[in-house]
Amino acid sequence: MSQISLPSGAVQRARIKRAAKAEKRADIGWAGWTAIALGAAAACYFILGPLLMLLTTAFRGPQDFLPFEDGAGWTLDNLAAVYFDRNLYTTIIPNTLIFTAGSVTVTFLIAFTLAWLVERTDLPFRNGVYTIILFPLLVPGIVLSITWIFLLAPNTGWINVILRTLLGLEGSGPLNIFSMGGMILAQGIGLVPFVFLLLSAALRSMNPSLEEASNTAGASPFTTIRRVTLPVLLPGLLAPLILATLITLEQFETPLVIGFPARINVFSTRIFFELNPDTDLPAYGRAAAVALPFLICGVLLLLLYNHFIRRAESFVTVTGKGFRPMRFALGRWRLPAILFISVYALFGALLPGFVLVWASLFGYSLPSFDILSTISFAGYADLFNNPKFWLAARNTFIVAGGSAVIVTTIGVILAWTILRTQLMGRWVLDFISFLSLGIPAVIAGLASMLLYLSMPIGIYGTVLALVLAYSYRMAVSTRLTRAALMQIHAELEEASSVAGGQWLTTIRRVVLPLLRPSLVASFILLFIIGFREFTIPTILQSPDNTVLSVMMWQAFQGGKTTQAAAVGTMIVIFVIPIIFGLRRFVLARDGRD
Amino acid sequence: MIRHYGTVALAVAAVFGLSSNIVRAQTAWYDLPAVKAAYEKAKEEKEVNVWTPVQAEADWIGTEFNKRFPGITVKGTGDLQAATKIIAEARANRHSVDVWQNSLGGMLEVQKRNLFAKVDWQPFGIPPGNILFEGDGVAAHNFVYSTLYARNLIKQEDLPKTWDDLLDPKWRGKMVAQDFLFPRLMGFLAIAWGEERTAKWGRAMMNDQKLLITNAPRESFLKTGERVLSIGDAVSQSFQYTENGVPTGYTVLDIVPAVQFMFSAMKNAPHPNAARLLIAWMASDEGMAAREKAVYGASIRPGSKSPLAQQVVQSKAKVILEDLATMDQRADYYKKFSSIIRGP
Repeated sequence: MSQISLPSGAVQRARIKRAAKAEKRADIGWAGWTAIALGAAAACYFILGPLLMLLTTAFRGPQDFLPFEDGAGWTLDNLAAVYFDRNLYTTIIPNTLIFTAGSVTVTFLIAFTLAWLVERTDLPFRNGVYTIILFPLLVPGIVLSITWIFLLAPNTGWINVILRTLLGLEGSGPLNIFSMGGMILAQGIGLVPFVFLLLSAALRSMNPSLEEASNTAGASPFTTIRRVTLPVLLPGLLAPLILATLITLEQFETPLVIGFPARINVFSTRIFFELNPDTDLPAYGRAAAVALPFLICGVLLLLLYNHFIRRAESFVTVTGKGFRPMRFALGRWRLPAILFISVYALFGALLPGFVLVWASLFGYSLPSFDILSTISFAGYADLFNNPKFWLAARNTFIVAGGSAVIVTTIGVILAWTILRTQLMGRWVLDFISFLSLGIPAVIAGLASMLLYLSMPIGIYGTVLALVLAYSYRMAVSTRLTRAALMQIHAELEEASSVAGGQWLTTIRRVVLPLLRPSLVASFILLFIIGFREFTIPTILQSPDNTVLSVMMWQAFQGGKTTQAAAVGTMIVIFVIPIIFGLRRFVLARDGRD
Repeated sequence: MIRHYGTVALAVAAVFGLSSNIVRAQTAWYDLPAVKAAYEKAKEEKEVNVWTPVQAEADWIGTEFNKRFPGITVKGTGDLQAATKIIAEARANRHSVDVWQNSLGGMLEVQKRNLFAKVDWQPFGIPPGNILFEGDGVAAHNFVYSTLYARNLIKQEDLPKTWDDLLDPKWRGKMVAQDFLFPRLMGFLAIAWGEERTAKWGRAMMNDQKLLITNAPRESFLKTGERVLSIGDAVSQSFQYTENGVPTGYTVLDIVPAVQFMFSAMKNAPHPNAARLLIAWMASDEGMAAREKAVYGASIRPGSKSPLAQQVVQSKAKVILEDLATMDQRADYYKKFSSIIRGP
């Protein structure tokens, strides 16, 4: 009997499994399948072009032909030029590893503390603090780096001058921003808002009942963080950790402005120099070859991520039971907390902000009371009288807002598909979306240029071309949404379904409201990235689709410092109310203070 | 590989140094029949798209050009890597650029692909000495390498007179240079000094004099006094830095390297007549003077009327103008010297 029943049992189990899958498919309905199909198709459309461009460009040469020209052919020369260079192994890779590990550590220590203080404690003025923390994201990277030079340049840096006076020292120093330590400090602080945004979304989505239990059991806040908060938040922590690592690997502003004077070369500076040769065309092939390890790092980090979160149900904290978050009373830690935030705000937000506004009004004149009488609003007057500025402002809102909406929407669909369906190939979508982070913007821009040039419809040179070209950066949105979705138990969706809710209704009335903090964080982040992006719009620019970041970069390159700083200030003025408003929206919807 | 430096170099070398005012002697250049005819047709085209390396180079053109030739909208776009775009557009048979201005070296790859319109510029009043690539382009201003100094921190009499003077220990830890410009400056100096001497000079600047190589704006270093000399910066930048609130002067040293900028009309320009007219105006004395006033860049080519050109002549400095004859050699030097500057 048993010999007969075994296969029969297996068949039975297979039938049950098929029935469950069929039931799930039926639950999703045509609307769901359409959304999934559209989301997957859009993700492939936006990412595969740049990805293929990166992979093919690395193998195309010689350098005096563009990779897509008839004279170019397949070659291993680019790889040989990059990977047979001894300096890569003796200098560039070690420098890159130290820089990345150091920066990400600094970022995480600061960002997690800030996120926890804002989302989990009774810190006063949390809404204002939230906006201040995000401020460095709005300030152009080059301005942040120059601020650090003002503060820590060996001869005349303000902090060095003060230290020499206090300590009675002669000569230069004692601190030097042009060093590996300086690079790590500047990059570490510069990346805090990005990681903070992701971490605060995760902390906000988390049901704090476990923390409350720990607290009730008499554990100190520190023990609760270590033993409860951190383990529960694992997906929400790993995602920003991986993203921050990849972003730091690619970041070239800090290494160029602060590291280069100390002759510290990293991967990203190598790409920069390949793209800015003397007389020849940019060495796209070698730049792509240098960028290939970013993809490999991306794949390895994603595998690591998936390994750590393989038991997805362990991270579920949002169930059918309602929750109202508890905030830790800071008590005597309130003052140190405020002090910590103040120091961060001073170096991360206030000083860069001051430098930006000052430069827009006084150029490079040093701050003093005597100089105040020379204040000039000419930079702003030039801007406001320039129709191109208003066109650029309009275009920027359309491009940043449009691409943020597209990417956030696709991110939700992909994250839901990956976590909630058994769809074959869903992991491919996960990989594809994640790999977008390893594609340098210049390669993505090049791919979009070729794509839209070859299309008979008139997208090339328009604002729409920019919206579509910006929309390849899905890693942030997918990762953020996926981490948040992992904290939400599927029983909520099942309950809606049992109650007769269609797939679309369940998504609209159950999933999206619970994902709101993550969606808003994703939108804000992508919106700000869209405002700052200048590589892609530079490649795709025409007189009609110019954006503010290009205008600012162009003014900066042309030595028009006050005008560049005025554009930078206007970017901050445009974006801050949106961040503030979205934050208020999330809080109001959550019914929290 | 598309290489025909020889022919082009010969053409440039043959005409370089010659300055002819024959055509302009009798008539104001804007009254020349070719100019008048181009203007009439350009008015029908209504606009012209000009691309320059940076936006500031394009922003001034429309207002000044329209004073002489109203009715034509000038749309300016700054893009350092316009070559890629122009080649890609040509390949797709779509064309958005009418006029392109860049350095000789920066335009070479597009010129090699035969994407410039070959124009007989003499009827437009352009002296033969300023016509490049047999009509593919017209000489514009020069990027004149110099040493800039913080005027309120250095006395005039202390200024260096030669590039070798910069090795004086008194300048140790007081100089800054841009990573893009300094190795290129060395490429020019090597034409005069040879590779070995230049490399030795570069190493001494880096290792002994602690030259700070940066990508940040050099004027910020001059302003704070973190550094007092900016090496290999352009003369035109000294005016721009001063405008930005950093009183900056320049010195003409014993060797004056100068990058040659060029205007070209594109072969498939959407507005070909407006393109020719704009180039003819920008290359005229009137256009050159307007340019010098707006963005400070001047020509130091023989025959130039700019004050800087006169100053260079009076200084008896050795002028090394960017030309095709030394292009490959300088590129080779640049690659070698970059490692000295950038480190491993």
